[in-house]
Amino acid sequence: MISVADLLVNDRIPGSYFATDAYVRSDLEMGLLENRQGDRLIALPETLIQAIYSGLDKETGQASRLVLFNCGRWWGKNFYARFCAEVTDYYGIPLSNMAMVEFMQALQQCWITHGWGKVDLDQSYQHRGFLVIKGWNSVFARLALKHEQPVCYLEAGILAAFFSQLTGKDLHCIQTTCESMGADCNRFVLGLAKRLEPAETMVTNLAHDAIMQALCGEN
Amino acid sequence: MHPQIESAFNEAENRYLHPEELGVITQYVESLPKRMQTYCTLRDKEMTIMQQVADQLVKTLPGETTEALERSIKNALLVMRYCAMGMLLNNEAFVKERLRTWMGQTMKAYHSQTIDSALYELLTQALNQALTPQQLSFFNPMLAAAQAEFLPQDQPLTAAALGW
Repeated sequence: MISVADLLVNDRIPGSYFATDAYVRSDLEMGLLENRQGDRLIALPETLIQAIYSGLDKETGQASRLVLFNCGRWWGKNFYARFCAEVTDYYGIPLSNMAMVEFMQALQQCWITHGWGKVDLDQSYQHRGFLVIKGWNSVFARLALKHEQPVCYLEAGILAAFFSQLTGKDLHCIQTTCESMGADCNRFVLGLAKRLEPAETMVTNLAHDAIMQALCGEN
Repeated sequence: MHPQIESAFNEAENRYLHPEELGVITQYVESLPKRMQTYCTLRDKEMTIMQQVADQLVKTLPGETTEALERSIKNALLVMRYCAMGMLLNNEAFVKERLRTWMGQTMKAYHSQTIDSALYELLTQALNQALTPQQLSFFNPMLAAAQAEFLPQDQPLTAAALGW
């Protein structure tokens, strides 16, 4: 016997918090974009993203990768705090009590609604201590200067910080495949910095599966 | 609001509306009291309808865990609320937007398709009893739009599907 009335908390059923039409609001008069909590959102024009990439490249050369990664980490840390606060507030449970499925749903929808493309979790290597995040239609990959190696350092930084905060472990993130190089998707490997280190040099000449085999084979 | 009505309102500075455009608005305005009434019926009978569905669902699928059944019922309550609002607004897009991707993915992740197919069949039966034919004519398009977002669609009747 199931009591339907008991399934509701305060007569409400949370839906998809980050559903695009519900999450993004605009105030034409003020020229503002806001989320459903009234917090400001900013729109990044393609020109600005391209300018950041080329400006950084001119000013810092190869170091721009590290700069972008660190910017991503900073962004990711704040993004996690906001994500946590909003999700906890809406669903009425702390993030740590959320089922993995629901957490991923929220993260995926959040990613889409912010215009960052699609993401998915690949747990094939979880038992070996690595988490793989797959991403599609990344604007950061599309607009970056083309190189002979993956270019989404900003996203790698965001993911490293986000999952470090989530797991309470200091995680590093390395991108192994990139849409800018014609790959089917962007693959990001998350793991402890020391264990991921060998992959840094592999990304230029090895495929994702080979890198994962090498990383897992060493342990 | 229905996209056709919304686009008609955008024509204000261009011209007066054509009779057929006014017809769409009239149709909506005239149907509004009945939509409201249907909405109130659904609101008042929400628990009764879903309790009836839940009781039958437990009998139909005795092998399923209570947790899985409860999850599907809770999702169905949400779907009903979105559909009721969509009906009031006469806007299927509202229902679709709110359910897009995540509901289907949730069902897939929890492997609840069997439960959900049975549940929506029972829900349709319960609604047929609870609503008048006219009320159903307002509500059913919304429920169909919602289901199209998450339940596997029947194969279209094509030569290929029939193996000809």
